[in-house]
Amino acid sequence: MTAVIDIANLYKAYGDVSVLQGLNLRVGAGESFGLLGPNGAGKSTLIHLMLGFLRPDRGQIALLGTTRLEQIRLRVGYLPERQRYHMAYSAREYLRFLGSFSGLTGAAMHERVDRELALVGLTEVADRRLATFSKGMLQRLGIAQALLMDPDLLLIDEPTSGLDPTGQREVIDLLNEVRQRNHTLFLCTHYMHEIDQLCDRVGIMANGRIAVERKVADLQGIVNSVRIKVQGMTAQVQEALHTLGPGIHCEGQSVRISQNSPRLQAAVLRTLLDANVVILMLEPLENPIERLYLETIQATKLPSGLHTSLGMFNNSQRPILTRTPPEKVASPERQGERDPLLHELLQTGKTEDK
Amino acid sequence: MRLLRFTGFSLLEYLRSGRVAIEIIAALLIYAIFLRRPMDVTYFFNVVGIFTPLLTLYTMAIVISLGDRPQGYVVVSRGIGRATFLLGLFFTAWTLVAGTYGLISVIVALFNPPTELDLLNWLLGTLPLLLNIGLLAALMLLLSPLVLPTGWRLFILSLIALAFSGNFIGGQLLNALPEAVRALLRALQALLGGPLVPAFYGFQLAVTRDYSSATALANLFAQASLLISLLGLAIYAFARRDLIFSTQ
Repeated sequence: MTAVIDIANLYKAYGDVSVLQGLNLRVGAGESFGLLGPNGAGKSTLIHLMLGFLRPDRGQIALLGTTRLEQIRLRVGYLPERQRYHMAYSAREYLRFLGSFSGLTGAAMHERVDRELALVGLTEVADRRLATFSKGMLQRLGIAQALLMDPDLLLIDEPTSGLDPTGQREVIDLLNEVRQRNHTLFLCTHYMHEIDQLCDRVGIMANGRIAVERKVADLQGIVNSVRIKVQGMTAQVQEALHTLGPGIHCEGQSVRISQNSPRLQAAVLRTLLDANVVILMLEPLENPIERLYLETIQATKLPSGLHTSLGMFNNSQRPILTRTPPEKVASPERQGERDPLLHELLQTGKTEDK
Repeated sequence: MRLLRFTGFSLLEYLRSGRVAIEIIAALLIYAIFLRRPMDVTYFFNVVGIFTPLLTLYTMAIVISLGDRPQGYVVVSRGIGRATFLLGLFFTAWTLVAGTYGLISVIVALFNPPTELDLLNWLLGTLPLLLNIGLLAALMLLLSPLVLPTGWRLFILSLIALAFSGNFIGGQLLNALPEAVRALLRALQALLGGPLVPAFYGFQLAVTRDYSSATALANLFAQASLLISLLGLAIYAFARRDLIFSTQ
């Protein structure tokens, strides 16, 4: 697959504070990649490096096949984290100005501006000053400006940050529509559900690198722990459920299955239905992406000199632990080193230097 | 073309925000306080020659603060590039100050025209004045946190202070210094004061409008060259630094 984003061994520090330490990343054309990471992990820094706002200390960034980022500026759309725009303008004026900065003129510009305003549902308020817009409307405007030049690559920084649930829903729905246009999406977020709904692949950032990458589809299997809320469950039914396995816990009118499996879940549901119990809701008690995130962050907080590199550049579900200093584990070849014993230690939380 | 559009964009924002009221009120006050009395052209250019640099300090500071906001990321991420962004800010401030000067000139011409003021005289005085406005605006841009990191700004400010040091290090203080230090200080003052000469002579030229010698034209050229150099330095520095807009 052609790499739209190809980043190799990227380092960036602010003074003495290292933010990126040998980051590698490849995102293919038409792919939607989500980057998760704690605050200060360097997600926004990475986007600003890709936009050429910041200069890397070391390493290389190639976007759309070139390292000369100024040449492909018009092919990259950017949705910033904070909805800060020039409030003195109306939405239409603002987009027309931005279009003119990008070289759009005349009827073509008017047509594109109207098209994007329609896409984000702002046509009716297009002539209102931005100062009167809600946060959700401003974020939709942000999406419109990012799409204005019909970019090949969209860099999106925390798209639902600061929005209420309705605004978040609207933005996610909108970005899902945008995905249909076959742009390559690079999304930084804190929210697992955004990754779940918008991304093909997820990367988790820790220690200045992408510590783990997974296909989202691979994480969307059956969850380990679910709760089934029911109505009309009797003590006899509860007893019948307990006989199905040790991982079933009945609490009032709800059944919790831990150590879940498709077969166990099906058996529980069948038992409930056979007993004419009304099933109100089946909810996962954990998010696989969240679990992966927490495990990764936990695993990368190992004593100094011991670093994890979980499955980078391979599809393995197994974490890989290396003892190499972070600046030397940047290349994919080095990150391929595996140690089953250390993997075991990682899983059990033991991190002694063996 | 993109420079024009970005300058227009920044200007329109400045006008719509209402900040331009300060410039208009300042122009009216200057007229009411200093320019309503009977006057000649020399007096007029003396007053505006002092007022416009002060206004430039204010307007440029505001325009730089408007440029140094997170809103700038969306603008710079488009095709205009950093140089156009910086020049746009410069021309915005320059246009605002020049426009305010134009407003004062119109008010004066309508309500209290000085003796001997004709269009040619006005143009001859205005040209070095506008170049001086540009020089000060470009210097402020160069010294803004947007363009230069703190260390470099302090270094350049110390050079400027050294160039002006003749005004406050003299007499007994100067005599108390060792001869070698005095010689070094004089040499530095002469060297660093050099770039200031076109600005001071420009002010004088605006007041006298005496273009009889080649020096006058040479000074206009020097003012223009210095202006281009300052802008060039600012663009160079801005292009090479990390772009981190203020979040305040």
